[in-house]
Amino acid sequence: MPGTGPLDLNIKLKRLIETVDAANILTEPLTASIRSLLTLSASEIDCDEASVLVRDGDDGDLRFLIAIGRVADQLLNIRVPGGKGIAGFVLSSGQPMAIADAGEDESFYAEVDKKTGYSTQTILATPLRHGGEVIGVLEYINRRGDPPFASYTPEEMDRAAGFADAIASLVNAYQSAKLFRDLGERMLSSEDPDAASIREWLHDVRTSSEHKEMMDLALLIRELTSRGEAERILAREIFEAVIRFSDSGDNTSYLA
Amino acid sequence: MMNVDDSQFLSTMSGGFRPQAHWRSCSGRGVSVAVIDSGIDRDHPDLKGRLAESVEARVEGKRVVFEPSKSGDSAGHGTACAGIIAKVAPDARLNSIKVLGAAGLGDGNVFLAGLEYAIKQRYKVINLSLGTTKPQFFSPLHDLLDRAYQAGCIVVAAANNLPQPSFPSVFSSSLISVIKSSDPDPMNFGFTFGEVIELTAPGVNVRAPWPGGGHRSLTGNSFACPHIAGIIALLLEKDPNLTPFHIKSALYAIASENRRGS
Repeated sequence: MPGTGPLDLNIKLKRLIETVDAANILTEPLTASIRSLLTLSASEIDCDEASVLVRDGDDGDLRFLIAIGRVADQLLNIRVPGGKGIAGFVLSSGQPMAIADAGEDESFYAEVDKKTGYSTQTILATPLRHGGEVIGVLEYINRRGDPPFASYTPEEMDRAAGFADAIASLVNAYQSAKLFRDLGERMLSSEDPDAASIREWLHDVRTSSEHKEMMDLALLIRELTSRGEAERILAREIFEAVIRFSDSGDNTSYLA
Repeated sequence: MMNVDDSQFLSTMSGGFRPQAHWRSCSGRGVSVAVIDSGIDRDHPDLKGRLAESVEARVEGKRVVFEPSKSGDSAGHGTACAGIIAKVAPDARLNSIKVLGAAGLGDGNVFLAGLEYAIKQRYKVINLSLGTTKPQFFSPLHDLLDRAYQAGCIVVAAANNLPQPSFPSVFSSSLISVIKSSDPDPMNFGFTFGEVIELTAPGVNVRAPWPGGGHRSLTGNSFACPHIAGIIALLLEKDPNLTPFHIKSALYAIASENRRGS
């Protein structure tokens, strides 16, 4: 048990919770980065409505991770069942495709439009690939201006594929951070009575001044990610200098 | 050993053998074409009466079984591909093998099972607009493609022109890989030498049937692929014993002629 067990178990658990909390802090800037890149890419291909859908479970279901545009908030509550719609097909096939007149008659998009009140007419969907896996789908809907909207061109499909690569890397980083976060949340909400003392101990760790200092540091790092490249390089050099100084073993006089 | 009447089909003019022009007036009669995809809407006016078989994958524990399809087309893509094949080869017998939306084993395993099913059924042409980038499927797909080749099944796959290679479209020796072109004439298909040799066929704003009775304008390599599947059905009508080797050579010869003529 944490309170009575060997010292190294305490240290391991403490590191785990620190990692989990740092991951929690990191997921937010990652979603902000995905949103920025999605907005930029949509603008590049003359579109205002776009979304990033991610694989949800092993059955090919998709959920909206990030969406921009008029009905973005409503989309976040919609789940795309495996193999349904253009997004479902692109996830399974790994093939990008574009479609015009999408919302007519009985298609999946007509169902989505009914829920959101939007009118989907033209779609460009590209797979998000990372490490040999299709982890999601990047979708652009309609165009700027008034309908009828021009269909997406092969050149725009190529451009979207370039953006998809970068977005897929960010989505993968987000999912890794989220994995840690969810793991920690599960541990903390476990109903197993044996876990009660662990939860209590974790609570103590999280409220300790030392842990708070670490989280403040993580927040500072997060803040730095939104600054310019020069600031990031400077901060990195300072961090590395501190670590080198610490490694040299000559820090007692400095700290004193 | 198969009995192939080369003299009927191919001439020995300089520049290699060339298919005789009569294939252009064929309709794919008697040729079975499998569409491994999202299902086919059998009630669509463009496809009514053209579907010979329609099955869908169901996962039972760790294996995949195929049973008569009741759910139609879940994504629209399969109906579009079938419609494109039917436009090029109106009398070909279409067979739908639905692999999308079968939950339980993941996309790759179901897709592989669909291909295996099509080979076992000895469908002469197999249209594959699906693919996978997962390295673990490289070897089993390669084996299946070899089996298809030996069984005389001609597999046509949509190429993937994204940075990562997609299987099976990179297995250029055992199948025919297709990318999209903006030329709308399916008979005027071409070829390109890239990392793999690919045929080019219409794939930009292709008007194709969609579940529910309507049509859509579609862009993508996966819509170029069924054009070539249809052309192969035309080639096979007069000489159903042509091997994948013959078909590839014939496609190359026609594409070269198209290029010279353009």
